[in-house]
Amino acid sequence: MRYLRLLGVFLKSNLLLELEYRANFLTQSLLGVFWASISFAGISIFYTQTDQIGGWSYGQALLIVALFTFLDGLLNFLMRPNTERIVTMVREGTMDFVLTKPANSQFLATLRHMRYAGLSDMLAGAAIFAFAGTQLALAPRWEHVLQFAVMLISAVLLIYSIWVAMASLSFWFVRIENIAELFSVFFETARFPISTFGGLLRFILTFVVPIAFMTTFPAQAVLGMLEPHWLLSAPLVAAAMLWLTHRLWRFAVLHYSSASS
Amino acid sequence: MLRIYATLLRMGWAIVMEYRAQIVIWMTNSLLTIVFMLVWLSISRDGPINGYESADFVAYFIVAWVVRNFTAVWASWELDYAIREGRLSPMLLRPLHPIHHEIAINWAEKGIRLFLVLPLAALGLVIWPEAAARLDWSLLNIALFVVSLALAWLILFMSDYLLGILAFWTTQATAFVQGFFGLRLLLSGTVMPLAMFPAALQQVLRYTPFPYMLHFSVDIAMGRVRGEELLIGLTLQLAWALTCTALVHLLWRAAIRSYSAVGA
Repeated sequence: MRYLRLLGVFLKSNLLLELEYRANFLTQSLLGVFWASISFAGISIFYTQTDQIGGWSYGQALLIVALFTFLDGLLNFLMRPNTERIVTMVREGTMDFVLTKPANSQFLATLRHMRYAGLSDMLAGAAIFAFAGTQLALAPRWEHVLQFAVMLISAVLLIYSIWVAMASLSFWFVRIENIAELFSVFFETARFPISTFGGLLRFILTFVVPIAFMTTFPAQAVLGMLEPHWLLSAPLVAAAMLWLTHRLWRFAVLHYSSASS
Repeated sequence: MLRIYATLLRMGWAIVMEYRAQIVIWMTNSLLTIVFMLVWLSISRDGPINGYESADFVAYFIVAWVVRNFTAVWASWELDYAIREGRLSPMLLRPLHPIHHEIAINWAEKGIRLFLVLPLAALGLVIWPEAAARLDWSLLNIALFVVSLALAWLILFMSDYLLGILAFWTTQATAFVQGFFGLRLLLSGTVMPLAMFPAALQQVLRYTPFPYMLHFSVDIAMGRVRGEELLIGLTLQLAWALTCTALVHLLWRAAIRSYSAVGA
């Protein structure tokens, strides 16, 4: 309860901050929609030359682009702004103020900052999803909607866990925006169904950097094409990652000797 | 001017050497080119698409990767930062246009990038000999490629600097840079050869600067433009390079006239 209230306070304070810089908010929001349009136009041009990529039709691939845009918006809304702050805090020694506050430090460090312009990508993602739905005349059965919800929540938790891991590493390496940049390169492959890639890369994108869990599996779920074992393993993997990265964060904080004192 | 540039390049080299790790990280961003190559390889598995077989796609994206790294520019970000922080004022007092400083840094950075990119690209061509065979290795063609590469760099550098100058009037200049980057990824042929576009769109694009930022140079390397078409292309590329340079000149003069420094 207390944490929900805190989250509400964060949401509000960030909104107030955003309203101070309205021009910036507006251009960043427009930019989000613009990038989504580029993704949309890009995939559409791909499909003028072919009727399948990795066995996925145009409408199906649009679902993947929609999920990619949505999750990228989430990264812009929540993950990237907090990463930037963590790097600054570790470098300038102000992390101490976070660690000494009477609340969970991981919560305070990773969910404190939001950039509302990220919502524009998320909305654009939802719009592309709706368009893909009409293209496919999508009428999923309720159990597929449920599967989709499970897979999408797992995807979000996985992304969050990866971000907690990177935040933890910042205590040792400080400049984690570089690792974040590397992750972003991998994340770009999430624009396409995982079956587009062959051999080793597909293995890596499924089991090492779990990109397949982020867009391909949720899209398969809503299409009713998901292999049942992923439905079981995705929430388990997400939960395990969440727990492991939380332990990593605790370990990192325990071994952190402040920069200032 | 040569002596000035020798000094500027030495300074630029010192600056980029300090950020060498950072530059390598930024370069990973261009690995996206490889991702798109893999996607096209997947699509073309069952047969050629608009005259591109798998080997053509490999050749295209390897050269595109080299071109992209050769023409990488971030001068607008530096300019935006310098203007917002008031650091531009001391630079304006020097008897040399600040753009030369940025050009020198850009060329020094190219040294680091090419040091990594060229061997990797060569390795790629050794691994895929069929792809290497899709490139036109005649001396004349290599010379034409180098010329168009230099012009592509000029177009990109000047258009980027142009957007950076907007920072004199707006705090949102980098948003324009990012928007332009998105447009460029799609329209310059970074994510796919322009032959994949609908024919009507290709015709329109020919007269915009976008293909001349990347696609045209790659086309030359692959020997896909010849004769009259090549001459027209080079002329249009030169025209765009000169237009961008002239626009930078004009906009800069207007900007300086309206500029009042922030800070001391």
